[in-house]
Amino acid sequence: MADIINVGFIGNPNCGKTTLFNAFTGANLKVANWPGVTVEKKEGKARYEGQEFKLIDLPGIYSLSSYTMEETVSRECIMSDDVDVIVDVIDASSLERNLYLTLQLLELGKPVVLALNMMDIVEERGMEIDLHRLPEMLGTPAIPVSARKKTGLSILLHAIAHHKEYNAQGPFIHHHEGMKSSHRHNHHEEYAMVYEDYIEDKIDMIITALTKEYPETRNKRWHAIKLLEKDKTVTDAYPLSLDVVIDRSYEKDIINQKYDFIEEIISEVLVNKSAKEASTEKIDHYMTDKWLGLPIFLCIMALVFFLTFTIGDWLKGYFEIALEVFSGAVSGFLASIHTNAMLTSLIVDGIISGVGGILTFLPNIFILFLALAILEDSGYMARVAFVMDDIMSKLGLSGRAFLPLLLGFGCTVPAVMASRALEHKKDRFKTILVTPFMSCSARLPIYVLFSSMFFGKYAMLVCYSMYLLGIIMAIGTAYVLSKIDGSRADHALLIELPEYKSPNAHTIAIYVWQKIKDYLTKAGTVIFIASIIMWGILNFGPHGYVTDISKSFGSMIGKAVIPLFKPAGLGYWQIIVALIAGIAAKEVVVSSCSVLFGIQNITTKRGMDAMVATLSGLGFGAANAYALMTFCLLYIPCTATIATIHRELKSWKYTCGILLYQLLTAWIVSFLVYHIALLF
Amino acid sequence: MTLKQGKNNGKYQVISIEAELKLERRLEALGLTEGTLVTILNNDKKGSLTAKFRGTRFALGKRIADHILVKEADM
Repeated sequence: MADIINVGFIGNPNCGKTTLFNAFTGANLKVANWPGVTVEKKEGKARYEGQEFKLIDLPGIYSLSSYTMEETVSRECIMSDDVDVIVDVIDASSLERNLYLTLQLLELGKPVVLALNMMDIVEERGMEIDLHRLPEMLGTPAIPVSARKKTGLSILLHAIAHHKEYNAQGPFIHHHEGMKSSHRHNHHEEYAMVYEDYIEDKIDMIITALTKEYPETRNKRWHAIKLLEKDKTVTDAYPLSLDVVIDRSYEKDIINQKYDFIEEIISEVLVNKSAKEASTEKIDHYMTDKWLGLPIFLCIMALVFFLTFTIGDWLKGYFEIALEVFSGAVSGFLASIHTNAMLTSLIVDGIISGVGGILTFLPNIFILFLALAILEDSGYMARVAFVMDDIMSKLGLSGRAFLPLLLGFGCTVPAVMASRALEHKKDRFKTILVTPFMSCSARLPIYVLFSSMFFGKYAMLVCYSMYLLGIIMAIGTAYVLSKIDGSRADHALLIELPEYKSPNAHTIAIYVWQKIKDYLTKAGTVIFIASIIMWGILNFGPHGYVTDISKSFGSMIGKAVIPLFKPAGLGYWQIIVALIAGIAAKEVVVSSCSVLFGIQNITTKRGMDAMVATLSGLGFGAANAYALMTFCLLYIPCTATIATIHRELKSWKYTCGILLYQLLTAWIVSFLVYHIALLF
Repeated sequence: MTLKQGKNNGKYQVISIEAELKLERRLEALGLTEGTLVTILNNDKKGSLTAKFRGTRFALGKRIADHILVKEADM
């Protein structure tokens, strides 16, 4: 028993597989309701009575065919020597659907242990599963577990250890009462899943051929079945000239006969079927209602936003105070040890204000993802896809794309991260492309400042118009793109609506921690570097370190590109430098303006008056202000967003393409807006 | 008739699936094949509908629902 047992966890999406895996390993794995999220192989370790187990978490799949990436990955992993024992995690509350994969797994000829999850839901519905008959019919142990309550975990490990040995002694012999096969081999003594005679005859013939041509093949029965299904991978690997036997694909026959057998199992194993109407159906009656569905969703999202920006901003206030105190303490300390001005400036103005400024958003991010994790884990998110499908498909996007767009009003970083929920790469790209057009909260200070400076009592209206313009640009872009790439609304939504359940604290904690860690590490490193670069550009000139920004490289760059920005009404080097600085974070545009124009407390009445006077002196009027706001709305998002986009798309080519598109859009729209505004 | 033409809470049996191979395969993997019994849960909207088959609820887009031919199942 000294050897490590390699265990592969496999199961349908939404079966609680990852929660179970987490319960064993405590690994930081994300639990989600869409397939493909664990497409990378995740591993963990567990110990039980001196026996060590290596656990592998495989993607959630419905079938072992090889039509999707997830299926191929799972199949290859499970058939390789990496896996000694397969743990098939089953959502006991939807046994019928889950058993299909089980039957496929059993055919692989490896030891399979069933982990029956969600037995509490089965009980709640007044149903019972015959835990004696089920293993008898399938010839494999079935252990009731609760991933959420962490019960049955040791028993499962015990079963894994024993079943591994058991299998070494030979196949699990079982017998089906009342199932008579006229086939000359009574396969019912060997296999759980036995097909009708015409299929079994063919399987036998193929096995004979396989034995002759490829004597080394392990588990010939499985290969024979796959050949009969005309499975591409297996057919290519084992070419046989058996056109007479495999005269067509028998896949449908095989699928249907598996489901026939499942029906038989269900009728014997499931007691008191559908005794109660599932509460899920009652909830869905309202959640997916034609009229109520959308308002309910909007109310839920409004609540999420309210929490994110009230509680989040309240906490953010404390973060800002802490940051100021910290920044002050560091300057004091640096002064006390007589650090030179340049280094102090780098540390305090560059790094601490840059990275710290981003850290102050942590409370918003935390609350937003906490709320989203609860919605996701409860099973509601899949309904959102259904509710929004019709509206979004008009824009050539999937229903799921609505959420990232909505989140974009809060912060583009989590919004882009949320696009991960989209199944198709093309959808994800389009969503990521348009999400930054939604006015994030960091852009609001810019709108507020410039609209109150130049538009007086219409300031609020001007602010709103920015939000509206962003939405129009996003919708327009999505619409035009869908026209260009010809992907008309494909209306091919296909998503499981899982059982509603109370969210699991452990799962949510892991989910939120994953997001926070992502935000802190990856975005943090980029912002750290960007802060240093920005500081360098604004504090160094041709003659080295400068304290006067107008002699810095930043102002030189700004002055050099004035001709480019002039047509859009933005031909002022200070504005251009502020915009460049704004790439670090959009709020920086405001603070940079105060530094660049040498105006203190720019957000106060006196500060604004001074600013208006200065700007008017330069010929910068209301039309320029509106063009500037428009440009800020549409141009390159902040570094954190750029880093996130790159992480999600994993391609600099696409990331740069998106940035270029946004820059061009910003310029063109600002140009139009500026010239139209000049007419008034 | 197609599944899209079905009524709420109606039980239907799939006669055939007239979709491209890839989609048909996806549906097969979910257990939606010829002969499968489908209960429509919510078909109020113009587009997608929700239905239950093989013990699980699904949301199906309009195009999918339009291409599944069904007949009313005998209760």
